[in-house]
Order: sequence, then C-alpha cells, then structure tokens
Amino acid sequence: MKFFLSKSFIAWYFILPAFVIHLLVVATPSVLSLALCLTDWNGFGKINYVGFENFIELFDDRYFKKAVKHNIIWTVIFLTVPISLALTCAYLLTGIKKGQLIYRLVFFFPYMLASIISCQIWKYIVHPLHGIVAWFSKKGFDIDPVSPFTMKETSLYAVAFVDGWHFWGFLVVIYITGMYQVDNSLYEAADIEGATKFQKFRYITLPMIRPIFIFTLMIIIIWSIPTFDYPWILTQGGPAYSSEVLATNLYSHAFERFNVGYSSAIGTLMFLYVIIIVGIFGILRKLGWEI
Amino acid sequence: MFIKNYFLKLFLLIFSIIFISSNVFSKTTVVWWAEANADRDPVFQAKLADVFNASQNEIELVMEFKEGLNDVLRTAMVAGEGPDIVETPGPSYVKEYQEAGMLQSMQGYSDQYGWKDLLLPWSYNAGVFDGEFYSAPKTYETMVMLYNKTLFEEKGWSIPTNLPEYEALAAEIKAAGMNVFSYGSTGWQPTHEHLAGMYLNSVAGPDNFYKALIGEKKWNDPEFVSAVELLRKHMVDEGYWSGSLENYYALGWDDFHAQFGNRGAAMMTIGTWTFGATVSTFADKSDDWDWAPFPNLTAEGGDPSYLLALGTTLSINGSSENPDAAAKVMDFIFSNKAIVLDMANDFNFGEFVVPLKFSASDFGDNVNPKVKRYLIEFAEETGKGNYGYTTWTFFPADPGVHIWKDMEVVWAGDISVEDYMYDHEKLWEKARKKNQLLPVGKR
Repeated sequence: MKFFLSKSFIAWYFILPAFVIHLLVVATPSVLSLALCLTDWNGFGKINYVGFENFIELFDDRYFKKAVKHNIIWTVIFLTVPISLALTCAYLLTGIKKGQLIYRLVFFFPYMLASIISCQIWKYIVHPLHGIVAWFSKKGFDIDPVSPFTMKETSLYAVAFVDGWHFWGFLVVIYITGMYQVDNSLYEAADIEGATKFQKFRYITLPMIRPIFIFTLMIIIIWSIPTFDYPWILTQGGPAYSSEVLATNLYSHAFERFNVGYSSAIGTLMFLYVIIIVGIFGILRKLGWEI
Repeated sequence: MFIKNYFLKLFLLIFSIIFISSNVFSKTTVVWWAEANADRDPVFQAKLADVFNASQNEIELVMEFKEGLNDVLRTAMVAGEGPDIVETPGPSYVKEYQEAGMLQSMQGYSDQYGWKDLLLPWSYNAGVFDGEFYSAPKTYETMVMLYNKTLFEEKGWSIPTNLPEYEALAAEIKAAGMNVFSYGSTGWQPTHEHLAGMYLNSVAGPDNFYKALIGEKKWNDPEFVSAVELLRKHMVDEGYWSGSLENYYALGWDDFHAQFGNRGAAMMTIGTWTFGATVSTFADKSDDWDWAPFPNLTAEGGDPSYLLALGTTLSINGSSENPDAAAKVMDFIFSNKAIVLDMANDFNFGEFVVPLKFSASDFGDNVNPKVKRYLIEFAEETGKGNYGYTTWTFFPADPGVHIWKDMEVVWAGDISVEDYMYDHEKLWEKARKKNQLLPVGKR
C-alpha cells in the first residue's frame, strides 16, 4: 500500500487520464491501422490476411521508389536551405537593436499562414496567365511564363521552396531564442581576443545552441517524412509523379484506389523510419552526446 | 376513492403520452447526406426537401450537407451508421459498398414503383449489381465540345466531323493566335480522364471500348494505343489545350472559363456540368457560345457518340431502419419530372439532371434553348445507339485512377504509350480476377 502511495508512483495517477485517452484515441487506432498492412482491405468490406504481399508489391512499385527518393531529396533540402538561412538571419538579427521585433514578425509571418493560403499565394505569383512572370512577359520581356509547379523538372523543388518559405521563419525564432541564452561575457572575451563575427558564430554561438540545433535537425528529419499538405495542394504529386512523396502516395492508394492495406504498408514503413530516427537520437544521447 | 382516481389519472396520463408519441402521430425520418455546396444546398432544401415534406404527412426528409462527403460517408458506413439515403460519386463507390454488404437491394422497390420504365435504360443498368438494382442515378452528364459561335461565324469555321478536319481547324485557330481548346487540370487532376475517355471512344470507337469493358478486347490493342498516342500528340506536341501541357496543368475552373469567354481559346472540351458556368461566363459578353458533340476522330469520320456518365448515385443504406420511406423519397423524385426539371434548370442542367425519359413537351420556355437541344439530342442519339462510355462511370477504381494519373507519365515522356496501355490492361486483369468490374448494359 505504501508503495502505491509513494511519491514516484503518485505521478502515474496524474498522467493516468491522459494516458487512457491517448491509448483509446491514438495508440489503439494506430496499432490497428498498422495491422492492416498485412491485409488486402479496401476500406469497405471483408479484411483478408495476405501476409507480406503488400510489402513485396511495394518494393516492386516504381512510384513508391520514386516517392522515397523524393522524400530523401526533400529532407536534404530542408536540412540545408532553411537551416542555413535561418541560422544566418537569426545571428544577424541578434545584432539589431532597434526594430528587431518587426523583423522577427516578418520572418515568422509565413509560418502563421494556413498552408492552403501560402499555396494559393504562390500559385498566383507563378500563374502562367496572371502571375508576375506573365506580367513581365506581357510588358515585352522575353521570358516564358511557365509555372514551375507544372514542369516535372522543377515541381518538387518549387513545392519544397514554398514549404521552406513558410517554415524557415519558425527556425529563425527558435534559433534567436537559443542565441539570446548564450552568455554575453563569452562574446566580450572573444571581442578582446579580436575574433571576427564569423569566428564568434562558429566557436561560440553554434556550440552554445547545439541542443536546439540538433533538436531542429531531428524534427526536420522526422517531419519531412509525412509531409503532405504542400505537395498535395500545389501539385497533387504531379506532374507525372515528379513531386510525389510518401504521404501523397499513401493517400492516393487509400482514398483514390481503395487499397487501404497497401497504403497501410506504406504507413508502416514511414512509422518504422521515424522510430529508427528517434532511436538513433536516443542512443546518441545515452552515449553522452549533448543533444 | 381518492386512490382509485389517482391511479386512473396516472394511467390516462401515461397512456396519452405513449399514444401521442407513437407512430400514429410521429413522422418517419429519412436522412439524406449530400455533398455540401453553397449554391446547391438551398435549392435542394427548398425545391426538394421542403416540397416533399409538404406533399405528405408520413415522412420527414432531412437533408444534411457534408463537406468531403465521401470520407465522412465511408467512415460512417464502415461503423454501421450513416444516412438512410446514401449518395456516392459513381458506380465504383457503389460497387465497394455493395460488395461489403452495406447497401440494401432496391430491386423490390424498383419493381413496385416501376423505376426501370422511368429511367433511361443505360442509367438503370449501371445500377444493377449481381442481378439486383442497388443504385439509382441522381444526375447524368456527357462530354461535349463548346465553341465560340460568334467567332466561328466571323472566321467562317465549322465544326469538324473527322480527324483531318479537326486538325485543320486546330491549325487555323492557332494561326489566328488563339488556343484551340481552353481547359486545365489544376484543382482537379482527374480532368485528364475526360480527354482520355473522349479520345478512346472517338478514335478506337465505342464498340471496341465496350468490348474492352467486358473483356473481349485488351486495352493494349492497337486501336487504344493509337487513341492515346493521338491524344499525346495533340496535348504535348501541338499544345491544343490552353497552349501547352504546362498551361493545361496550371489552369483551373475559373481560368479556363475566362480564357474561353475572352477568346483566349476558340473551343472548350468539357462535360455538360459546365452549362451553368458557361451561361454566366457569356452573360456579359457580346459573343455567343454553342455546343457540339465531340467529333469522330477517324479519317472517314462518322456519327459522333455521346459518352454516358453518371454524376452521382443514390442507394439505401444497409443499416437503414426506414428503407420503405427512403424508397418513397426516391420514387417522389423519379415520378416528378417537373420538380427534377425545375431544380436542374436552376443549375442550367449542370446538376440534378436525373436521367428520366424527357421529351420536348416536358420543357418550359424558361429552359435555355441550347441546353434543351442537348437533352433532347442526347436522348435521341443514345436511343439510336450512338453512345460511348466515360471512364469514371464504367472503370473499376484502380484502372480508373491509372487512366488519368499515369497519363501524365506518358505526357512527360517517361513511359511509352504501349507500356502505359500494357500496365492498364494488367490492372483490368487484376480487377476482373477480384470481381471488381462495374455493370455495363449490353450494347
């Protein structure tokens, strides 16, 4: 009895309601939907067990492989472009004394917009009839007003650009918060030593915000996998699967082709990927990495 | 005495409550879920639900308008819930629900009310699964070619009747600095299947199309390969639709209507659901528009075919407690041409065109003459056998998605037409094996 009323055990009582709700509303349906990957369920009728048939078919599916490749490209883009931009801007912003809040607001503003709004804005900007390029073209400039969302060579990058445009302000705010927590005396000491701005950034700022930096890397790696809204709204994965990612592929199989079992197999692989990433970060932390 | 009176009063009170709340006084409620649409919903409510409810005292029709109806409906149906009247976007959905035992057979009601005689035969047949009637058509449509009539008269152009004329007209239109057709797929990627269906029918011919539907021909036979190759050539090499493949991908509903209305394009290939929007587009223009059936794209030409298509279907939920009342609601619709025509006219016959056997005398003076001509010609020509098939009414889900989604891969040059049609045939074989084929009336 004493054990059940011990301090460490009482904490469990407090999380019990949330845990039960989570179990019923999130965990159980998730596990059940993962179990569908071994079936041929079409979302309507009888569920038949098919073993690993969906996975075998999946590894032979050229558009699934294409989607995997696109997700990797997507992750690399987001691990480089928004991060370097955000780090640079956040570092420069810390040096601004007046009107910094306005800059922060401007950078953060796209993040506050709903994805559908961001997408519509960019669709209009590059619209072949009413967009900015079309306007220049009508004014006599020798440019072809073609939307980058409609060309297979550029569609994935164009979609990633719009998502990155919306996302990077979020990183700026996170990095600024981290940078403000760096002890100012370190910079003063560096100034006395005659360090350049870049050296201060490289040897003081970056190491000091490392936990936040690694955290952003982790969330980008994880969030890049289920990315759905921007590709779906802007291109629906097209043209010709050129911007197809795993989530759009999954959606298409589940809701357009009625292959719920097959799409569940895709979901299972996405889930495994996230578990592995989280596991790797967990192991690194156990090994003493400051992340 | 007091106790006796007390019990008597109590008994009378309880009896009265039970009696008043019994079926003798209460109406049977029939719930119908329909896809939400700000323009459409008030018309459905006022001209259908309110009129039906006022017409009798037994049934209360409740129309509930849902955003993203397909997803909401599927979730409810799988859980054994949902409305009494099930509205789906087409036979491929009906097939899945019917196979899963989620719909009630309406064969008995059809026999009782004589629906087979009221509906156009092809539309009735599209609702017969495993020999029983499961879904009734709520609206039908076909693909047509709209053209700027004033422009055609000015330039002395005429509607082509075969492939050489079609290509010659396209060249003249392009030489005049316009796009041949206005159309685009942004916002609705399956738009490609409209074009695919038109070309497959008008190049390979509806007879071959029918044979492929019932498995007597393969989809990778040369006739179909030629049809898709011609579409690829006209789309990619010639840029018939909105000037280029990229523009076609970039233009949406408002864009391509505006382009057509502003002489950016001379013609528009689209379904009859656009009549309402086209009338509005040209309302403030000095130009006039008209429609023609899509020509037969062979060297010798021939009678054009009207592609058969069902927009939405109505069925009775397998778990409905009031199937008789739900059937009465449907019968009210099918037996009241005037109500159907009145509602459809509100949308210029782009919505709620129940495939009833209309004749010229059914239409009032308020019906747009172009639309009236379409409805009469459609009934006459399809009656003569001049009809083809749309992919969204007669294709099972997987090949139905493949035909438009992977068409982009062909247009991108990533796969040959032969390989594309070979993949398509494989999906049909799979669908046949899984008994997923949709009903097609005998040709």
